[in-house]
Amino acid sequence: MKRSFKDDFNMMAMLLIPIAVAVNLVGFQLANVLRLPIFLDTIGTIIVGVIAGPWVALLTGLITNLINGIFNPVYFPYALTSIAIGVGAGYLSKYGFFKSVPKTIISGIIITFIAVIVSAPITVFVFGGVTGNTSSLITAAFLASGQQLWSAVFSSSFITEIADKVVSVLIVFFIVKAMSDRYLSKMNYGHLYMKRNNKK
Amino acid sequence: MKQNILLQLHPMTKFYFTLFLFAIVLILPGYLFSFALFPVLLLIALFAGVLKEFLNIVLKALLSVLVIIFIMQMLFYPGENVLWGWGIFEIKQEGLLYGLLLTSRILAIGSAFILFFRITEVRDFVKSLEDIGLPPMGAYVVLSTLQIIPEMRRQANTIMEAQKTRGVETEGSVLVRAKAFIPTLTPLILSSIAGTEERAITLESRAFSAPVKKTSLHQLTKSNIDRALPIIFALIVIGLLVWRFFF
Repeated sequence: MKRSFKDDFNMMAMLLIPIAVAVNLVGFQLANVLRLPIFLDTIGTIIVGVIAGPWVALLTGLITNLINGIFNPVYFPYALTSIAIGVGAGYLSKYGFFKSVPKTIISGIIITFIAVIVSAPITVFVFGGVTGNTSSLITAAFLASGQQLWSAVFSSSFITEIADKVVSVLIVFFIVKAMSDRYLSKMNYGHLYMKRNNKK
Repeated sequence: MKQNILLQLHPMTKFYFTLFLFAIVLILPGYLFSFALFPVLLLIALFAGVLKEFLNIVLKALLSVLVIIFIMQMLFYPGENVLWGWGIFEIKQEGLLYGLLLTSRILAIGSAFILFFRITEVRDFVKSLEDIGLPPMGAYVVLSTLQIIPEMRRQANTIMEAQKTRGVETEGSVLVRAKAFIPTLTPLILSSIAGTEERAITLESRAFSAPVKKTSLHQLTKSNIDRALPIIFALIVIGLLVWRFFF
């Protein structure tokens, strides 16, 4: 266990982190430019989880939120969510959950649950239930209709996350499929996704 | 840049100061102190010559969040004493107090961190973390991330323009716009990861992963103030904790 933990952090995996963080930010920016109703700001973290494993993805999630936090401290507490998404994606990949479209969709749903379960307590305890993004409006609507705070936050973030995460994992699936065997062979979990069949 | 006592402090000292503010905001009860902290931060920003950027970022990042949180707490926090009501909306005293407490804390802590990153170069901060034990690889990853972000933003724009000339539509219904996302992101990621191999070779040719102590061109020095201030901060926090829980 100790050995595999250290092995995850090889040079190629570490050099993937800056790119993945930038992909997270650029994905969010592109979604904004194209005026899409979802964020798409965890694509990089999920890619790292899929091809380089949970621990490298943990670091990617953490760095993403720290860098976002430089200009908007609201991101700092949500570093936990990014970390959880990265670790979750890494373990799902380890057990072969990104190998086909149906399995990928299932892992998108699992990642949604991870994201909601980790982020809802942060939203409630740190920000009292709302943070001013789109899901806040839905939370407010649920509260006005008489729901309790916890269930309002859980259901509103579930509604906004599910589309985002399922689309994100599908994009990741197609991007990993487009990666060359030459590159994948250098990543820890890459052999799972190589086109040439290796019977290991 | 002009010599400035504040800017010349060791990055760790500034970081401990930020953590110190974070701790006392959470320790002290009530919202008055936390709100009073903001003008203090403004003064520090003015003294360090970063007032304009500081205010800009606070307004952009925190103001809307604070207003929304405050309104939500006023309307929906459970309580008995109704101050004012209109239809299904009722403003309760408990909600008003909790809203003030929450927003004052978020304002104080959030702006303390914003100020920290205004008066500290990220490069210096990472170097000081390296000095206290962050692996050089970690420092390299953080710094190269900061470098690569604007680069990839530019590249994403270039790719999007190129795809537009090929006929990929970026206007229209949600589905049409969503379809433009993948042809932009995929080439961006694939071309970026192609470059990592060369960077790995470059780093290795300079013995980056050799198990020896690294020398750095960039050095930070600690003055006496930098040694004394963290101790003072810690003493004040301990004093406040004792006062809060034993008296």
